[in-house]
Amino acid sequence: MSETLLKVDDLSIAYASEQGALQALRHASLEARAGEAIGIVGESGCGKSTLASAMINLLASNARVTSGGVIFGGRDILSVSGEEKRRLRGRHIAMIFQDPMTSFNPVLTIGEQLVDFQDQREGLSKGEKRAEAAAMLKRVGIPDPERCLSRFVHELSGGMRQRAAIAAALLMTPEVLVADEPTTALDVTMEAQIIHLLRELRRDYNGAIVIVTHHLGLVGELCDRVYVMYAGEVVEEGSTEEVYHNPRHPYTQALIACDPAHLHDHAPVLPTIPGRLPDLVTPPMGCSFAGRCARATGHCRSVAPAHVEVSPRHFARCHFAQRNEARS
Amino acid sequence: MSALYEVDNVSLDLAAPAAGLQRLLPGVAPRMTILSNLSLSVGQGEMLGLVGESGSGKSTLARAMMGLVDITSGSLRFEGQPVKTRSDFVKVRQGAALMFQDAVASLSPRRKVAAQVVEPFQINGVPLPEGPSTATAMLERVGLSPALAQRYPHELSGGQARRVSVARALALNPKLVIADEPTAGLDVSVQAEILNLMTGLRRDLGLSFLIITHNLAVVRHVTDRVAVLYLGRMAEWGPTRAVFSHPYHPYTKSLIAAEPQADPRKRRANLALKGEIPSVLARPPGCEFHTRCPIARPCCAAEEPAPRMITPDRMVRCHFAAETEQRISGGRHGTELEH
Repeated sequence: MSETLLKVDDLSIAYASEQGALQALRHASLEARAGEAIGIVGESGCGKSTLASAMINLLASNARVTSGGVIFGGRDILSVSGEEKRRLRGRHIAMIFQDPMTSFNPVLTIGEQLVDFQDQREGLSKGEKRAEAAAMLKRVGIPDPERCLSRFVHELSGGMRQRAAIAAALLMTPEVLVADEPTTALDVTMEAQIIHLLRELRRDYNGAIVIVTHHLGLVGELCDRVYVMYAGEVVEEGSTEEVYHNPRHPYTQALIACDPAHLHDHAPVLPTIPGRLPDLVTPPMGCSFAGRCARATGHCRSVAPAHVEVSPRHFARCHFAQRNEARS
Repeated sequence: MSALYEVDNVSLDLAAPAAGLQRLLPGVAPRMTILSNLSLSVGQGEMLGLVGESGSGKSTLARAMMGLVDITSGSLRFEGQPVKTRSDFVKVRQGAALMFQDAVASLSPRRKVAAQVVEPFQINGVPLPEGPSTATAMLERVGLSPALAQRYPHELSGGQARRVSVARALALNPKLVIADEPTAGLDVSVQAEILNLMTGLRRDLGLSFLIITHNLAVVRHVTDRVAVLYLGRMAEWGPTRAVFSHPYHPYTKSLIAAEPQADPRKRRANLALKGEIPSVLARPPGCEFHTRCPIARPCCAAEEPAPRMITPDRMVRCHFAAETEQRISGGRHGTELEH
C-alpha cells in the first residue's frame, strides 16, 4: 500500500451560530494516499465542504476545531501559523473549486494569474514562469495555450475555465489535490472530458486526489476509495467497488437507490429519503440516521453505533452492518 | 394523443454583437441563428424532455414558446389556435406556465413566499380562489408546510424554492408546464422528490410537461418522449425508451455515452465527446455536428442533412442514420448510403 500523504484524524469542527455551536463535522477520519483518488460523497449539509476546507486549511472564521486534526508532512496543519499556512497552500495542497468563474480574478488575464501563482518558486524569470504556465495549459488540454494566457476568464467557456483552474492548481505540483464539485457547473459532455482529464492526471501524477461531490457517478468513474458522509459523520468507507456494490449503511443504500442514473428502466415513482437531517446544534445521542432509517430500533436512537469493519478496509457506522453480512 | 402546443418550423435570429464602430455602419447588421427550422409538439398529458448542451437553444425555445422572445419565422399553435400577437401570448401564459432555471433567483428576495405565490392571480386580474388562505393552500398542494408562507426566499432550501416555483406555475391551473432545469443543483434525494411531485401532478391533474435539462438520467425516467437539440436544430426525437436503447444520431449516442456511471464496474476507457459546442457566431456549414462527429465524412461539411422519419414516431437528422439503423438491426453494412 502506498504512502499516506494526508490524514484527517478524528476531526470535529463546530461553527458558532445564533442557536449555538453547530457541529458540522464530528470525529471524521480519512487518509489520502499517493497515487490514489478518494471520493467524499454526501448531500447538502453533510459536512463534506467543511472537511474539504479543513484539508486545505481554509476554514471560515467562525469555525472552531473541537477535536483531532489534519496531519500533513508529520504535523497538524490546522495549528500552523499564518506564514506557514500560506506556504502549504497551493504548493503542497491545492484546491479546485466548483465555480471556475470565481476562482480567477476577472480583471487580470489568465497568464498574469498563472505567473503570480508561481511566486513561491525561486530562480525562475517571469518569462520562464509564463512558459511553465503555457505548458501546463497544454497539459490540461487547452488547444491554444498562448492565446489562453492573454485572455480573461469571462472569455473562456465553462469547460475551458475548469481546465484552466485545474492547470492553476497543478502548477506547483502539489502532493494533494482537493477538488470540490469539479463538474457540477458543467454539461454532461464537458463533465466527461474533465473526468477523462482527471483520470489521466491521476495516472501520471503521484499525488493524492480528493474529490468532494454529491454526484455518485463522478466518484464511480474516478475514485478508488469512497467516504460517504451524513450529518457531519463518515458513515461508510471502503473501496468504490465494495461500497457501490455492497453498501452496508442504510444511508448509502438509500443514496444509491435514489440516484436516477442507477435505475435502468422507466420508473414512475423514484425512491426518495423521507425525513430531514437532524439538527446539528444538538446532534442526536444515538445514530444520526435513525430518524430516517426504516430499520431503526430503540437501541439505534439511544446508542451511537461504532464504525465497524465489515470486511477488510470497508467500514460502516451502523448497528446492523455486521448482521447485513450474515444475511447476504 | 392530440397536440397541446405545436412549434412548427420555427427559426429565431438575433442581431450579432457587432464589434466597435462596425455597429454604426449602415447596411444589414450581422445576424446569428439561435434556432433553425425547429419543429416540436407537446401532446395533451405528455411529458416531453428536451435535452442538449448549454448553448443548444433549449431555454431560448422555452422563452419563445411563452412569448418572451420573438421568433423570426415559423408558427406556434397552442390548443389548436395560432399564437402570433401579444394578446395571443397573454392567453398562452394563462394556459401554460414557465418554471425558470434558477428557482431562488426567480423569486424576489424582498417579498415573502405568500405574496409571491399569488402573483399570477394578481397579474392576470383573477380573484384569489380561496381568499386569504390561497397561498397556504397552494403551498400544501406541492407538499410544503403552510408556515413557509411567511418566509423570505433566502430562508428556503433549494428543494423548497423549487417547490415554490412549482406552486407558482400551477396557480392558474395551466395545461402545460415548461420546466427549465427543474432539478439542477439539487441533491439526488431532493431531485427525486421534485420529479415525483411533477409526475404526480401530471397523473392527478392531467398536466403536460416540457422538461428542459441536460441531465439525461432525469429525462430517461420521467418522460414519454425526448427531443435532442444541437446548436438550435433538432438532431433526433422519439419515444424516450427507444431513443435511449437505440439512439440513431451520433450526438445522441455521445450524450448517452458521456453520462457518468454510478458503478465502478462499468467504467469505460474513453467516454468523452471531443471538443465543445461551436459558437452560434461560427455555425459550421452542412451538418452542425460534423466538427465533433466520430463518423463524419466529407459530405457532412457540405450538405445539411434533411429530417428523416425512421418510423412514424422517430425523427433523426443525420446523413448516415440509415447506416446506423442497419447496424442496430443487425443488418449488413450499407455501402451505398441514402442521403
